[in-house]
Amino acid sequence: SHTVHASLDPLPMQGPELGVQADDIEAPEIEQEPKQEVLENKDVVVQRVHVDGLGRTKEDLLTYEIAEVFRAKNLIDVMRKSHEARQKLLRLGIFRKVEVVIDTSRGTDALPNGLDVTFEVTELRRMTGSYNTMVGNNEGSMVLGLKLPNVLGRAEKLTFQFSYGTKETSYGLSFFKPQPGHFERNISLNVYKVTGQFPWSSLRETDRGVSAELSFPVWKTNQTLKWEGVWRELGCLARTASFAVREESGHSLKSSLSHAMVIDTRNSSILPRKGGLLKIHQELAGYTGGDASFLKEDFEIQLNKTLFWDSVLSASLWGGLLLPIGDKPTSIADRFYLGGPTSIRGFSMYSMGPQSEGDYLGGEAYWAGGLHLYTPLPFRPGRGGFGDLFRTHFFLNAGNLCNLNYGEGPQAHLKKLAECIRWSYGLGIVLRLGNIARLELNYCIPMGVQSGDRICDGVQFGAGIRFL
Amino acid sequence: MSLAADAFVSQMAAAEPWPENATLYQPLKEDQILLSDCASSLAVQAYLRMCDLPVQVVCKANAEYMSPSGKIPFIHVGNQVVSELGPIVQFTKAKGHSLSDGLDDVQRAEMKAYMELVNNMLLTAELYIQWCDDATAAEISRPRYSSPYSWPLSNILAYQKQWEVRRKMNAIGWGGKTLEQVYEDVSQCCQALSQRLGTQPYFFNKQPTELDALVFGHLFTILTTRLTSTELAERIKSYSNLLSFCRRIEQSYFESKRVSPLKD
Repeated sequence: SHTVHASLDPLPMQGPELGVQADDIEAPEIEQEPKQEVLENKDVVVQRVHVDGLGRTKEDLLTYEIAEVFRAKNLIDVMRKSHEARQKLLRLGIFRKVEVVIDTSRGTDALPNGLDVTFEVTELRRMTGSYNTMVGNNEGSMVLGLKLPNVLGRAEKLTFQFSYGTKETSYGLSFFKPQPGHFERNISLNVYKVTGQFPWSSLRETDRGVSAELSFPVWKTNQTLKWEGVWRELGCLARTASFAVREESGHSLKSSLSHAMVIDTRNSSILPRKGGLLKIHQELAGYTGGDASFLKEDFEIQLNKTLFWDSVLSASLWGGLLLPIGDKPTSIADRFYLGGPTSIRGFSMYSMGPQSEGDYLGGEAYWAGGLHLYTPLPFRPGRGGFGDLFRTHFFLNAGNLCNLNYGEGPQAHLKKLAECIRWSYGLGIVLRLGNIARLELNYCIPMGVQSGDRICDGVQFGAGIRFL
Repeated sequence: MSLAADAFVSQMAAAEPWPENATLYQPLKEDQILLSDCASSLAVQAYLRMCDLPVQVVCKANAEYMSPSGKIPFIHVGNQVVSELGPIVQFTKAKGHSLSDGLDDVQRAEMKAYMELVNNMLLTAELYIQWCDDATAAEISRPRYSSPYSWPLSNILAYQKQWEVRRKMNAIGWGGKTLEQVYEDVSQCCQALSQRLGTQPYFFNKQPTELDALVFGHLFTILTTRLTSTELAERIKSYSNLLSFCRRIEQSYFESKRVSPLKD
């Protein structure tokens, strides 16, 4: 789809739904024998650590996760390391419940200060079905899922998803395999078909693709390498589509290699209070076959800082460049789009920049920036409960989208991106939906509107997972 | 096209005169276009030349998908897009250009009947030979159809198209026919056309009509296209008045202005 959002993968496949959220750390649940001795400051030796309740899970997978517990030297340490091991076991996404039992050692070789740590686990069922409603960038969809967790015993996951939405229908099959002992290093194979309708361009797109993705951490960053092969079919959404869009109709094959690097130090991805995000993504198409041939770069930066009185200042910057390689022009399906409640507020969805007869064709270069001040609701109604999900925000958005003129140098392009800047300001209310999405209701005043842009001044509603 | 769409197009069309930059789109001439599409495109080009309406021919690999009906050719006139000979004739009529105004009702009905004959026989035979004859499909049709695309998309699209055409052939009862029977059908169609033409210059005596354009498009293309066998061309050559008919139209409408369309 038009890639101001990421790829065509139906849902993020890496990692389980049970994740550790930094801002809700639970107290460890530890059962202890009723008759116990006070061992806080006494040295202990962990003699046995084992896992009870395994069915199809292979033991060797878990030894990595629980190995640390052996190194504990006193009871506090044992409790802490057991808690960490429990979180590690949970994040594998193969257990429904993990409980820790610490007991004194029994048996013939038991030491007087020996401890036995047992993780009592309940595995997830072999197959689970799910039904969710999902909020993408200003669209809603119904997602039916079928998941086979831990299908081969080492935390592999097979997922089938079917999603029916206001703009897209898609289905996909995905196989996820983490490296035993290093869950953050994982590989994911996907097969999918996605259909999308884009009324702002009068375009219909059907993508059928396969992809292989390798993810691994390097120091503080998370790196992803991906190969993707997509059969793209473009068509006019209506008979009244502009001829420029009609000319893009037909089939093409894109085979691309891409790399992404993410550094995320924020405490939350929705309404963070501190930390920053840096995401750099590049895609090279055409060197592994296919018809499409281009180099695409885009980045996203976000910085957050808590100010006085519980308010947060947030600044973000996005940008991207699409360079065709060879003589074929770029495809409407690869270009960038700008505008809407999730990017430059006050403008209609993706209705900015190069257009023909009212259909927006996207651009090969763009930048967009946002400055926000989030404050709690005035008078703090429902404090400590429901009211905490809301924030008021004051925002300033700016950006530009244009095409490249081959033959002119980079100076000319930079100049072009700096002319005719669209911008907007306003205020509104933000509602946080779990840790996945947010809703916004804003009053926007668009400025710097160029002829051909479609605006949405006044009240604008937005829902999504990625906002400028 | 539905009646409502027809009326709409006519209303829109009548508003503006024929522009200078009217364009006709077809697949790539050298490597991609197939016999049936080439014939249909030539028919429309001949018709427009007979009406003295200028049109520029542009070749695009995705012409079939650009077309609103999925069929070749289509014309882009002003900001209207119209595909296939029938609707294009209607469209030009709405702009005040017509070749069949001088015909009476009986003749018009006859013209429509013969056009139906050409579409049902000649065009279907072309499609059959292209896609249902294994030798032709493997040597000519599939390679040409898939030439603009890279592997494996090329194979997928070519087999998809072949499957689609074969399904349609089965639906209209041509699935069980042999190549010989198809050649026979073509012969019979040519005989009917030859008889109707007689010694006249055009089907309706002195002036060409859309029927002449259609027949020319198909016959000329068959005569000048290389297939796995020359059988089809031979069948047509046995009707000398049809041969001279093709020659006549080529000389009057194509050679006088430029080189014959298929030699470009």
